[in-house]
Amino acid sequence: MMNSMNDASVSQELQKVFEELKSMFGSCEAVHIDARQYKLIVPSDKTLGMLTYLKSIGYSHLSIITCVDWIDEKKFELVYILFNWSNGATFLVSTFIDRDRPVFYTVKDMWPTAEYYERDVHEFFGVEFEGNENCKKPLMLELWDDLPPLRKDFDPLQYSKEHFPDRTYEKDPIHEARIIRGDIEGDIEGGEIDG
Amino acid sequence: MSEKNERNERNEKNETKTLQKSFFAPLLGWKALFEKPVTIRVPKEKREAAPRYRGFHINDWEKCIGCGTCSRICPTDAITMVEVPDMKQEYGMKPQRPTIDYGRCSFCGMCVDICTTGSLQMTREYIFFSHDANDFYYAPTERGLLDKEPSEIKVGWTRDESSELLDLDRILPDAMESSERIDSFVEFVKAYSKEQAVAEAARCVECGICVDRCPQHMRIPEYIKSIWKDDLKDALKWLLKGDEEQSNLGANPLSGVCGRVCTHRCEEVCTISHRGEAVAIRWLKRYIVDNVPIEEWNDAVSFDTSKTDKKVAIVGSGPAGLSAGYFLASMGYDVNVYESMNRPGGVMRYGIPKYRLPDEALDKDIAFIEAMGVKILTGVAVGRDISFDELKNRYDAIFISTGLTLGRSTRVPGSDHPDVVQALPLLREIRDYLRGEGPEPKIAKRVVVIGGGNVAMDIARSLARLQKMKYGEVNVTLTCLERTYEEMPADLEEIEEAIEEGITINPGWGPKEVIFFPDEDKIKGLKCVKCVEVFDENKRFNPKYDESQVSYFDGDMIIEAIGQAPDYSYLPEEWKAKIQFVGPRILTNNLRQTQIPWLFAGGDIVNGPDIIHGIADGYWAARGIDEYLDSNGNVEK
Repeated sequence: MMNSMNDASVSQELQKVFEELKSMFGSCEAVHIDARQYKLIVPSDKTLGMLTYLKSIGYSHLSIITCVDWIDEKKFELVYILFNWSNGATFLVSTFIDRDRPVFYTVKDMWPTAEYYERDVHEFFGVEFEGNENCKKPLMLELWDDLPPLRKDFDPLQYSKEHFPDRTYEKDPIHEARIIRGDIEGDIEGGEIDG
Repeated sequence: MSEKNERNERNEKNETKTLQKSFFAPLLGWKALFEKPVTIRVPKEKREAAPRYRGFHINDWEKCIGCGTCSRICPTDAITMVEVPDMKQEYGMKPQRPTIDYGRCSFCGMCVDICTTGSLQMTREYIFFSHDANDFYYAPTERGLLDKEPSEIKVGWTRDESSELLDLDRILPDAMESSERIDSFVEFVKAYSKEQAVAEAARCVECGICVDRCPQHMRIPEYIKSIWKDDLKDALKWLLKGDEEQSNLGANPLSGVCGRVCTHRCEEVCTISHRGEAVAIRWLKRYIVDNVPIEEWNDAVSFDTSKTDKKVAIVGSGPAGLSAGYFLASMGYDVNVYESMNRPGGVMRYGIPKYRLPDEALDKDIAFIEAMGVKILTGVAVGRDISFDELKNRYDAIFISTGLTLGRSTRVPGSDHPDVVQALPLLREIRDYLRGEGPEPKIAKRVVVIGGGNVAMDIARSLARLQKMKYGEVNVTLTCLERTYEEMPADLEEIEEAIEEGITINPGWGPKEVIFFPDEDKIKGLKCVKCVEVFDENKRFNPKYDESQVSYFDGDMIIEAIGQAPDYSYLPEEWKAKIQFVGPRILTNNLRQTQIPWLFAGGDIVNGPDIIHGIADGYWAARGIDEYLDSNGNVEK
């Protein structure tokens, strides 16, 4: 199984995969991460084809779909992480889509779990996945009324200040800290500490 | 048996098995009643958090410098800096500590990742109960939220390479190699490119600890931020106008000079220097001044001034005098600066060597000061060409900033020989020679320099260049009382660069006498004895020697660079008697006013040698003079 294969034989196997990918999809950029991890950067029109092919040759476990906001380049980078149980190798299939028109295609027909990953990416980055009719359904952020929070132009501090106004406390934490440190003498009022 | 029967029998058997299994199954479950529960009975039982758990904070108050970077990065506004009463105030720290509101904290850990000193950490503690919301707001200390012995607290989340949020490595400006720079007096540190400057500016965390340290309190975080935004006119405005809401505090009319040769105390306290290299504040300042053409300065910097009819005289056009002139002009005063030398600038023109401060940089700063309306009268020595009393009659107030112009001698036997010279006059001659305004000074093939300060470095490095240009090789030996490089008052950077340039440095020796060739009026070298202690237990200068250890340094010429003294010969005795002195220095109040109400003083004669200190003196004196002239309405002449 996965541990029985050494890095060298995995690497040999991966070289074969690269060559096949090259002949099927033309040039694709492969970034070496470690002995069993490679990132493949593919044009978006070839992404689904490559995912289908990789799934068919054993890279069948979709670990997650995630996204990176490259705000200066005006791109979203979608990353599909595929794992092969038989050799322990991982491919990160990455593609760049237009940040101003963030639409891509669903892969939920290949991997049913993708429905949730796509909802997650939609919620945090605002990317839509055509064909996933539940895509816009809130997953974690119910009643969210701002920019998707993992976009680089989302300002968490401002959001925090607007939604959670400061409260005033009836104590002097520095005075308390100085008592705790033994800098000054005094009693600390307030709740029992520790459970 | 037929097949059918066989199948039936098998089915019956299976059914019995299933029945038995389902019938007894609940009993198997009951067995668990008598076993220990697998769930964790919080809070009686505690489950250890993961090693990288982001739990409650602890903060080492001894390590924390109150920079507030944690508070500025916090994405939920959970951290507030609060002043600590009675905390000792010292350079490089602010008397405040972070307080955290756990009603807001999202435990993201960015405060820990960015903490400039590493004082703020997260623990693996996560259980805390209280009915009182106040209890969730606290100032983390070494004892944490739960008030535990520090040794019992397990640290959780720790910053690593990938979560590091500070850029710890300084971007070095391009500079000439020592072998190249020794061949000429060309400024050997190159200016930052735009890319370099923006990247270096990005390293600043805007804590402002540097501002407290700078004698003039320059608006460092503001101008660095403007560099980062690539708005150099705005940056220049911060340099030349400072904080407009606080009477231009922090403005520096000699920013081009300070961007090159400032003693940069700001960098010594830079909060980034706790874990990395200080932000190159000095080089960033130079980048601003060099990259806004002088024609655009007026656009960027203008003052609303209404002219007054009051006149102020300034004696000496060094940093303090020019600074006072600039600020007085910005307030509408008519300012005349008297300078005995042929060019303005004082120590900046005649002391600091050209390879550190080229004339063009100084000229640019002075051009703007003159454009403000400051009149500089060069070649006019007060006391020689115009009397001090004449000044008093002509002007409403006088600011004196005449600097330290007299050298000190070791007075060892033989030091009265013409080839034993003082550093300051020689530096002046060298600068005049290099700008084609004077004859070539005597350049000996072998030189011994006595002194461990920056002036000693300046003269040693200048002579090394002249030797290289004239004879093709460097032969300069520097010796000083101080026993180590650290003890020497010169900047370490200067010492390192001098050594790179081929100068031999022999610390820890006291000059004893000048040695001559037998029967010849020619210097052979310097005899020194071991210096075992420079300062006594009261930290007073009181060197002690071991006369049994002797050393000889060869040289045809000996330069004394052991300190400078003020020359007050221009001051009439009548006024001199009324001024209060502390040693050689003049005592003033905060507004640099002497005991004589119309006489203000600043610069080296008040605060000792330091350019930025002189600039601050000029600023405060201008405010003092303004206050004095304002309150007096009609000043008696």
